[in-house]
Amino acid sequence: MPEKLYQIISKVMKIDISVITDELGPETIENWTSFNGYVLLNELEIGFEVKFTINEAMDVKNIGDIKRHLRNKGINIDG
Amino acid sequence: MPEENSLSHYINKSKEITKKFDKKIRIGLLSSYTINGLKEILQVKSADRNISCMIYEAPYNQYSQEILNQDSELYKFSPELTFLIIDTRNIFGDIFRFPYSVSSSDRKKIVEKTNREIKNLVDKFVEKTNSKLVITKLNIPSFSPNGIIESKTEYGFHEMIKDFNNLLMKNYINSENVFVYDFQSFVSKNGEDNIFNYGQFFFGDIKISMEYLPVFGQDLMKYVIGYLGTTKKCIVLDLDNTLWGGIVGEDGFNGIKLGPEPPGNAFMEFQRVLLSLHQRGIILAINSKNNYEDAIKVIKEHPYMILKEEHFAAMRINWKDKVTNMKELVQEINIGSDSIVFIDDDPVNREFVKSIFPEILVVDISNDPSSYVSIIENIIDFSVLKITEEDKNRGKMYFKQKIINELEESTPDLQTFLSQLDLKITIKEVDKFSLPRVSQLILKTNQFNLTTKRYQELDIEKMIHDPNFIVGCVQVEDKFGDNGITGVFIIKKENDEEWIIDTFLMSCRIMGRGIEQGIMTYIKNKAKNDKIKKIKADFFQTQKNKPIENFLPNCEFKEEGETWTYSIKSEIEFPDYLTLKVE
Repeated sequence: MPEKLYQIISKVMKIDISVITDELGPETIENWTSFNGYVLLNELEIGFEVKFTINEAMDVKNIGDIKRHLRNKGINIDG
Repeated sequence: MPEENSLSHYINKSKEITKKFDKKIRIGLLSSYTINGLKEILQVKSADRNISCMIYEAPYNQYSQEILNQDSELYKFSPELTFLIIDTRNIFGDIFRFPYSVSSSDRKKIVEKTNREIKNLVDKFVEKTNSKLVITKLNIPSFSPNGIIESKTEYGFHEMIKDFNNLLMKNYINSENVFVYDFQSFVSKNGEDNIFNYGQFFFGDIKISMEYLPVFGQDLMKYVIGYLGTTKKCIVLDLDNTLWGGIVGEDGFNGIKLGPEPPGNAFMEFQRVLLSLHQRGIILAINSKNNYEDAIKVIKEHPYMILKEEHFAAMRINWKDKVTNMKELVQEINIGSDSIVFIDDDPVNREFVKSIFPEILVVDISNDPSSYVSIIENIIDFSVLKITEEDKNRGKMYFKQKIINELEESTPDLQTFLSQLDLKITIKEVDKFSLPRVSQLILKTNQFNLTTKRYQELDIEKMIHDPNFIVGCVQVEDKFGDNGITGVFIIKKENDEEWIIDTFLMSCRIMGRGIEQGIMTYIKNKAKNDKIKKIKADFFQTQKNKPIENFLPNCEFKEEGETWTYSIKSEIEFPDYLTLKVE
């Protein structure tokens, strides 16, 4: 399980780590408003010491997208 | 990264606030850009200080409509404190990017126009509500299209914004309701590149980055504290490793670290910042485990002590525990323990005090003295919306009272007590410089006033120029400083043999120190030198002038019918506890 990633998601979106799946997004997570979605990216940037481009930020529609962009930045999210 | 919690921490924690506190505030938030999260930050930070915070957040960039529309949600909410958060891009529009597309005179006109618009809005708001308003100054971006010759540009882009900010400040410098927040200080403290992040700006018109929004919120809390008056008023300080480096009991007077060399300079600077707070009304006190003699010798004699004995309203230097001492200090200073800040380098002492007095702000200073100054500078709890003259003199008054109490307790008789005050009186004829103060005393003094005759400035001026009158004033100094002009007398030269005391008064501030005896002796001696035989005086009793009722008999005046008379003697002794200077 991508522990660090899920911890940040859990903290920002106030959901239990155990329910997190790649498909979850604004429709399925109550606290995933457009602003809070951006808060999540911001806190991931701080947590993983990366920067999302504006294109990546606009592209994120669910947890799977976040994983993809992190992996593209060379982050081993499962490690 | 700032030393702050993340934005999500505040957003989530705000949902968990259930407790209702006695202290409450209603805040309105108006802004020209996205400030999502600020509401939650203020709510959490308020709850941390036992304040319930209700917030109305106006829709994005609707501040004008909210202020202009009489029936707006803002007015329905009726805030007590409103923040109007505006920014340079929003105020200047296209000119923000293209300042040099217009002439310098047009730039000036734009600044005047935009400033007028904001002023109209603010005036409208002030007219419609009782809320205090805090409006932010505009940020001055470091970039200018003119680059390094920006400073050679007449009324350039940067100067425009500075000018706008200055106008804004001047508009409200004397206002009781409108406060101007120095956004530029916030940016220069934290850094433009940290505060403003183009990614966040393009994504959601965010102009204060998510990382630094909590820092901004912390700054705004100063107004909440100032508004509610939950301000800290007193700093209680440890000595060893707090005001100086080392332990005086072990390292000795010469061994402690205090002086121009590091690390002594850090302690000196720490003392300077404490002194600057003292000068604006914060009370200082000492709570230290030490041999009294060792510690007081440093305070009194160390050449690099910035804080002197006179800056401390109370001291507990002994081997009792810090809590016992704190209880005594609270009583002696007569202050609520919730208005105290405690600074001690020892974490055990800090925990102990915190456990007994949770309401005291116990500052966690590290073991690095170079960080002390910034820790003090970052305390927001000294914020006030107003500083009065009384505030500025508070520290002095406390010390004065402390010494006078100690003297009175320890002195066997009044004469000895008075002689220890180093009283010095200066008597001079009233001139145009002292006239306003003299007139104020004549119009206001009730208690120590022989005749309570009220004269306007013009009346007094006539008497000054009339050779048949002596209009004198008295300045009083003691070992604690100058009390200023605090006494007035007017003598009418009735004829070659007789003077009449028309007016004799003293401010209640200097009553009870035998000053009046000194003034009267001066008058008697002056009369004697002028070959006068008799001085006459009236005493008109009022409801308030009881303190002066025995003054004339005490000065050897004899009652003769309705008036009192003193016959000049050959020997007139001046009180020995007073020094007299005649100008």
